[in-house]
Amino acid sequence: MMPERVETASPIHLFLIEVSGMDARLIGMSLERHMKGRVVLTNDLLHAHAVLIDCDRRGAEQAVLRLPPRKDLGIVGYALNPPEFSTRFPGMPVIAKPLNLESLWAALTQAIGNPIRPSPPPAPVAVTAPIAEEATKTLGDNIETDDGVELCGAFEDLPTTRPSRLPDKLFFDPDDYLVGQLFRAVVKSQASQRPLAVAGLYRLIRVVLKPVPLCLTAFRETRLRPISMTQLPLATTRIVHDPGTQDPPGTELAWATEDMLWNVAAWAARGRLPVGTDPYRPVRLKAWPNFTRVFVPPHALRIAALWVRGYASPIDIATRLGIPQRYVFSFYTAAQFAGLINFEPLSLAANRPAPPPATPVVAPSAKRPSLLARILKKLINAV
Amino acid sequence: MRSDRLPHNKIIFSGTVGAGKSTAIASLSDVPPVATEALATDAAAQLKKTTTVAMDYGILFLQGGEKVMLYGTPGQERFSFMWDILAEGGIGLVLLINNSAPDPLHHLEKYLKFFKNLIADTAVAIGITHMDRTQLPTLVDYRGRIAQFGLLPPPAVFRVDARERDDVAMVVRALLYTLNPGLIDA
Repeated sequence: MMPERVETASPIHLFLIEVSGMDARLIGMSLERHMKGRVVLTNDLLHAHAVLIDCDRRGAEQAVLRLPPRKDLGIVGYALNPPEFSTRFPGMPVIAKPLNLESLWAALTQAIGNPIRPSPPPAPVAVTAPIAEEATKTLGDNIETDDGVELCGAFEDLPTTRPSRLPDKLFFDPDDYLVGQLFRAVVKSQASQRPLAVAGLYRLIRVVLKPVPLCLTAFRETRLRPISMTQLPLATTRIVHDPGTQDPPGTELAWATEDMLWNVAAWAARGRLPVGTDPYRPVRLKAWPNFTRVFVPPHALRIAALWVRGYASPIDIATRLGIPQRYVFSFYTAAQFAGLINFEPLSLAANRPAPPPATPVVAPSAKRPSLLARILKKLINAV
Repeated sequence: MRSDRLPHNKIIFSGTVGAGKSTAIASLSDVPPVATEALATDAAAQLKKTTTVAMDYGILFLQGGEKVMLYGTPGQERFSFMWDILAEGGIGLVLLINNSAPDPLHHLEKYLKFFKNLIADTAVAIGITHMDRTQLPTLVDYRGRIAQFGLLPPPAVFRVDARERDDVAMVVRALLYTLNPGLIDA
């Protein structure tokens, strides 16, 4: 239960600084839903009671220093590794990502009741060891949306024939997200045959090879998902030799490496493709993802069933299934990082005649489709 | 030899002893499943106390009162004469493999061979159970063996807990989409 704000009954007007568009949207929705009348976002810094800063963003420190000299302005930061910033901005409350509403409320009331003026940060210090911390509820948990739709973006479809230029917003750089570093750790671990770990977050993600390739982490899915969706400055995480478990016994979960990479990539993708991908190049799905254990984007089973049958481009798959391309792009991104994509050798592709335009899959061609559809409806609705 | 009778609305669950066929049917069925189990007396006794000697039988009720039968074949090979009978006219095959049994990859291949005709006529989706007890072989190993067997397109192979309805339903959904990727999510 949220504590009452003691000093005034009016809501706290909160101004966001250096917060990504996605974060701002999530924060806005969560405040509207769960802290209505207590905290409202404002675009007016002059009349804001407090500011919230994403400390992990490059411009955060400068932004803090540029704040107007108001003694009554509360300043709160949030970061993946809060202790790092408590030394850089002494006295400024910095709470952990993903944001927890109760922590946010506590930090805001503290900051407004006891405002500080951060001084310029001292010379960089070594990142402190990850701090184990468990919150009960995150912002992401509280938003009741269609999971898959929310996580696959809202991009318009590309034309079915290749345009002269593809829109930049269709692509993302995996190195800006957790998936880039995790993938690198897996590749390095396989090459060196040594267990490694991704450090720098408040929990480790350990990559082990024996007895089977696994990722071990005490992150729960509700935490891992928002971290995977957030852009991380390159220096946030680093690959280290596996120090062994750093969490209390029994708190680490084991994920098949393939499943972990699928999830982290799918969450980062949000309907986009890794930079350098050609959405018009035919590829094939080597195998079905392990759908009983991984995030299942919308239409994923249909996409898998069609894509294991032969080479087709993401654009073709979307056309044949009659679905928005962004769902296929999310699927493709996840499958690529999970190692499930087969590329057609360019020599073969060059010799193959151009395929006819993709046409929608004809539903009635299969055996007793109406019965299958009814069974499917039963299974989905009852699950 | 296949008869000329109309196909039944039934999905076949088959697989190794102790893989969880009876449990999977119970997870999915709308009625308490009929099971013909007896005390295991042969090699199966090393894996579990009772074993299915004829078949398991559950029902999915569809809208409008239509029924889909869920048939589980007995796992022991001495009852394999029943497999063909039960499989006749099935919509498709759900194959469950017990990862903690000796040489599960060999068992997988054996079942794929036995149900070759049913799979060719319809489709198969595969659930690997007891992976929490025994991590090897992995799903990648199963996929490799299926590729060696030459089954194309590659069927769905999922890690499954037969007690979890969601897991079992996911395998059946994959089977349905394999039959027809054009099915619309209801």
